Amino acid sequence: MNYIKLLNFELSRFIKIYFVLIIITIISQLISTYSVAKNYMNQFNLAVYRDGISIEKYVEQFGQVSLMDLQHSGWFNLPIVIAAVTLLLYCFFIWYRDWLGKNTFIYRLLMLPTARINIYLSKATAIFLMVLGLVALQVILLLIEGKIFKWMVPANLRHDYSIMEYLANTVGDLYLGVLIPMNFIQFLIHYGIGFMFVFVLFTSILFERCFKWKGIIFGVVYALVSMSIFFIPFILEIIFAKRYLYPMELFVVEIVLGLIVTAMSIWIAHYLLNRKITV
Amino acid sequence: MIEVKNVTKKYGRKKVLQGVSFTANKGEITCLIGVNGVGKTTILNGIMNLTPMTSGEILIDGEKLTKESYEKIAFIPDAITMLPHMKIAEAIQFMKDFYNSWNDERAEELLGFFRLKKEERISSLSKGNVAKVNLLLGLALDVDYLLMDEPFSGIDIFSREQIADVFTSHLVEDRGVVITTHEINDIEHLIDKVVLLDDGTIVREFHTEEMREMEGKSVVDVMREVYRG
Amino acid sequence: MKITFNKRDPVYVQVMQHFKEQIASGKYEPGQEIPSRRELANQLKINPNTAQRAYKEMEEAGLIFTEGNNPSRITKDEQVLRNLRTELIGEAVDTFIAAVKPVNIPMDDLIRLIKEKYEKQKGEHS
Repeated sequence: MNYIKLLNFELSRFIKIYFVLIIITIISQLISTYSVAKNYMNQFNLAVYRDGISIEKYVEQFGQVSLMDLQHSGWFNLPIVIAAVTLLLYCFFIWYRDWLGKNTFIYRLLMLPTARINIYLSKATAIFLMVLGLVALQVILLLIEGKIFKWMVPANLRHDYSIMEYLANTVGDLYLGVLIPMNFIQFLIHYGIGFMFVFVLFTSILFERCFKWKGIIFGVVYALVSMSIFFIPFILEIIFAKRYLYPMELFVVEIVLGLIVTAMSIWIAHYLLNRKITV
Repeated sequence: MIEVKNVTKKYGRKKVLQGVSFTANKGEITCLIGVNGVGKTTILNGIMNLTPMTSGEILIDGEKLTKESYEKIAFIPDAITMLPHMKIAEAIQFMKDFYNSWNDERAEELLGFFRLKKEERISSLSKGNVAKVNLLLGLALDVDYLLMDEPFSGIDIFSREQIADVFTSHLVEDRGVVITTHEINDIEHLIDKVVLLDDGTIVREFHTEEMREMEGKSVVDVMREVYRG
Repeated sequence: MKITFNKRDPVYVQVMQHFKEQIASGKYEPGQEIPSRRELANQLKINPNTAQRAYKEMEEAGLIFTEGNNPSRITKDEQVLRNLRTELIGEAVDTFIAAVKPVNIPMDDLIRLIKEKYEKQKGEHS
């Protein structure tokens, strides 16, 4: 129960900035969609009505407009980058803000009559929920952006993707391809690895908070050790230049290693919070 | 009873506390006195497990501190530990959400006693009023022990008087109170017991009335002996 | 109620002294209700345990009494009240003698002086 209360509290502490991120994303992507469609239509009108090129010829030469065209638009990608960087920085700030200033909130948090690991878990969950929330927003925005195309561009000039089709085409894309993978397994892998990194990062931050300067070294070492454990199958393959595992086996081994690294991070955080933390 | 047994705290090579032992009883006001920077705050942080001690043991009613202990022992640090943008009502709600020992009636009483308005934001309060809110958040917990770090420092004289009133009221009755201070003058008649710290060790531990009765010395007299050598 | 405490005598002794003076001078009447130990601590800004101690000592000395759960009251015992007056006057005279002794004034002169001053002050006060 206290975990839920803490989670709620952590979310409320970031909600203003989070809303700003959401609004930036909505505005920026809608502007992007509008201008892509508008530009296409302007060019089309010029070509067809001024230069007298036939519609079929134009489509043949320049292609139809679709959601794919958004990916090359700065206005479309910029909010994704901003949101990703903000949340990444917040992974640090979500801890350090509690030690900031004279009114150090960490006193309050550590003196709550609840297991201290709940502080850690609630902060991690807050990050996860905010990431997933933005991803969900992106999916909804893509649907809306498809609608905008339908309003602005005649059917014969555009290619409509369903969301799944669309995602199948963005697999290799730097931003969207990673954010919204095509199938559920892929989704679990991306976010599983992402959240594991968050746990490792949080535990490294706690090392710094417990041991100050020395803690930075401990933290970096911890992060390196964790990564080595997680990537050990790949490291072995590189060293011995030989494949030991079938893809399916590798997949299972990676899941197990990921769980081990996550569990280790939580357990060490539990120890540090109870025995070593200092206000 | 709070028992601090042979506690040592090192920061790197610097020893802040060296074999500190004392007890603080329920129903008594114990005052940790020392010139600034002698580890008074560190002792309170140690009792609350807010910083690890290098060695030694701290027991509360014979038991080590656990998460349940925070319903039994409260710490009021020298600065408020709520977020500045919070309203007093929100800070109170936060406490209410997490502590079973939160006593709403007493919180209301304290709001009246200190003449604080619930709708005000902590960031908009005067120093004295922030100190009162800070005190309120600890005092409204139905705990057996209360630790207060420098409750009288850095605030105006009228706030000090009001806060001193708390110590003689039912708000503190029957609890074990530990306060730290470097300024004893105003509160000499309020406290039961004095623990004098110097250079990370305890140099004297005595009951004030006994000291007056047996040796005819005030707390300041004893401090003069200790600190002037 | 307001007492200016000195810092070197036990506070409970000073509180008792205050009560004795008030009783002897008649400001507290026999049988009059007195504040609870909590109220007293609050009024005097002293530690509640000290107020408790003062009341305990006064109770033992018969200066105050408590029936059941009722508030404590000033004693009605004439003998105790008389003794108290004698005790306080005795103490005052002791202090006085100690102060006058170094001056080495003849007894008759001293008594005359006391009479004069006492009458004069009484006159001023009434």
